[in-house]
Amino acid sequence: MSQFDRHSGCPFHRRTDRSQTALPPADTPAPAHRERRRFLKGAGLTGLGLGLGGIGLSGTCPARAASGHGQDVTSAPQEQDAQLRYPFHGEHQQGVVTPRPATGMLVAFDVLARDRDDLERLLKILTERMAFLTQGGRIPERDPLFPPPDSGILGPVIAPDGLTMTLAVGASLFDKRYGLASARPQRLQRMEGFPNDALDAARCHGDLALQICANTLDTGYHALRDIIKNTPGLLMVRWKQEGTVPPLPPAPGEVDGSARNFLGFRDGSANPDGSDDVLMDELVWVGRDHDEPAWARGGSYLAARIIRNFVERWDRTPLHEQEMIFGRRKMSGAPLSDSTAEGREQDVPDYSRDPEGKITPLDAHIRLANPRTPATEKNRILRRPFNYSNGVEANGQLDMGLLFLCFQADLEAGFITVQRRLDGEPLEEYIKPVGGGYFFVLPGARDDNDFLGSGLLAASA
Amino acid sequence: MKTTRQWIATGAFALLPLAPLTALITAPAAQAAVAPEALVGPVADYKLYVLDNLEQLVSHTRDFTAAVQAGDVEKAQALYAPTRVYYERIEPIAELFADLDASIDAREDDYEKGVEDPDFTGFHRLEYALFHDDSTEGMEKYAQGLMDDVNDLDSRVQGLTFPPETVVGGAAALMEEVAATKVSGEEDRYSRTDLWDFQGNVDGAREIFELFKPLAAQEDAGFVERVQDNFDDVEETLADYRLEADDPSAGFESYDRVSDADRRALTGPVTVLAEDLSTLRGLLGLN
Repeated sequence: MSQFDRHSGCPFHRRTDRSQTALPPADTPAPAHRERRRFLKGAGLTGLGLGLGGIGLSGTCPARAASGHGQDVTSAPQEQDAQLRYPFHGEHQQGVVTPRPATGMLVAFDVLARDRDDLERLLKILTERMAFLTQGGRIPERDPLFPPPDSGILGPVIAPDGLTMTLAVGASLFDKRYGLASARPQRLQRMEGFPNDALDAARCHGDLALQICANTLDTGYHALRDIIKNTPGLLMVRWKQEGTVPPLPPAPGEVDGSARNFLGFRDGSANPDGSDDVLMDELVWVGRDHDEPAWARGGSYLAARIIRNFVERWDRTPLHEQEMIFGRRKMSGAPLSDSTAEGREQDVPDYSRDPEGKITPLDAHIRLANPRTPATEKNRILRRPFNYSNGVEANGQLDMGLLFLCFQADLEAGFITVQRRLDGEPLEEYIKPVGGGYFFVLPGARDDNDFLGSGLLAASA
Repeated sequence: MKTTRQWIATGAFALLPLAPLTALITAPAAQAAVAPEALVGPVADYKLYVLDNLEQLVSHTRDFTAAVQAGDVEKAQALYAPTRVYYERIEPIAELFADLDASIDAREDDYEKGVEDPDFTGFHRLEYALFHDDSTEGMEKYAQGLMDDVNDLDSRVQGLTFPPETVVGGAAALMEEVAATKVSGEEDRYSRTDLWDFQGNVDGAREIFELFKPLAAQEDAGFVERVQDNFDDVEETLADYRLEADDPSAGFESYDRVSDADRRALTGPVTVLAEDLSTLRGLLGLN
């Protein structure tokens, strides 16, 4: 296969919505792989026949990057360009189908706003700050006798650095405080513990959640501190969890794989293609067919979970057992059902000839999570997780794990159903969910005159 | 102290050493600086406020430590919070003496060995004995040490030059105290008398604000109004937890009784006050 075959994706499913397209500034020298991506983007948009040779193989779009090497949502991040900028305005918010960068954090807040007007003020401030931070620019100066308006940790000019900020609301925001109850998304609910959970109340739920992703953690911290500085009396941080995924430098001829989690397995292999608009409209974005309030169209449900991994114990588990637990080869990421020596992560598992689970155990993680049947297609979710490391437990074991983040148009058909299938899986010996929550990602802000949550306020007025 | 206040108000300014006026004239053109001489009166008034509270601190500490020395646990418990209030009000000045602040008001978290640390002394060491152990056993030396430290503080402050920027900045410093350790309820974790300290910090911040309010209003009337509103909000919420609505000396309910909703209700205005008051120095052209 040519390079184009592997990376160009399906020209018929190319995004025409530029809201998720990286816009490198014209005056920045672009690395070679980005040049290629722009070239491919042009090809896709105009429908030229580039890369068509690769499509006939299966008749469907391969779940590969739409716009170049390392651009699938969970591909190992390769874009380290400080000038990488994602548009803020659009039908959808950024940070959902945007390729995952090397760092991400989820910050949950309690809203302190005293009434609806205060809440509206908060949403407008958040929108304005997010619009500025994600585009970058020079920070304002102030009389040095006053505290500086910016933390200064990125210097006098903020580079966008691939920053995306994504605002979501929790079920508790729809209590009696702000009169929003009548507009609550149908499936938005308080996260209930699953059998293997040991939820820590201090790391659960929240009125709002802000997902902040960027090439570097400092860019994310800068954004968070800016938000806190600009919302006194309106927001209180409830919990926060940041994480990273290992970047992978592009190398000629290298297969572009999903980043590995802290159990050493590639995570995101079977993710739906984030660049496939039709598929995203079906699985990720709330639309007309999703039995939700009209204002919620263009939004998405976010399920967030802080999942501790018992890594020392995992590292003392035989490789064969690890692979049986996941249902994949650890190094290649290939499904166990793939009997060929050159199995690849991208190969689709085939359970049809293995009804008793002799090759891929029936309770293997990937088989439970996605049984690959027509009936379970609607349960697919778009995962966008990060690995976290928080220090050391009292027993001397590392506090590491997965900041699991996933998006779906229907929370119940998506995460909740998938997690119920996973309840009792053998992997539970090695993992312990300790926090998280369910949120609804607001539809995007259309333009400078719009603000995140405007539709929600109007619908509940 | 009314008499002292009146006495000094009649013109004995020479007794109040103030920072050289040139130290104040550092504001760049960006901010219309308040005339340095305009700060002299409020700073002098603030020193009186601090001296008033110090006098109260000395006498209350005398009673409190005497109760500990006498082994009267119940009385010492009752006097613990009402004594601390005077220290909490004047923290911006008291903290200028880091050695005394540590020996008077440090918490066990400040020491690697926690309550067992030999350097852990002062109010919170006695709090641990009184409210955790329900005992005064072995506390005599700590009681005596606290009394000595408070007397030492008193004499040091008497001769202290009050730098205007420290005084004005003290309002923000007090709200930072509240935001960092009072709302969370970690200050008085055994006695649960956090609301006393909370009120003490707010009182101290408000005193500074009130003294400089006329000057601040000249620069930014909206600022003054906002700060007043937020002080009112905080005090209203605190008032809900007073044991006797009309008698401040009756004190407050245990911090355990403060609902999560009220903790959040306090966090909002406290944070806005901390943000706003952090600009008070700049507003008055102080470095």
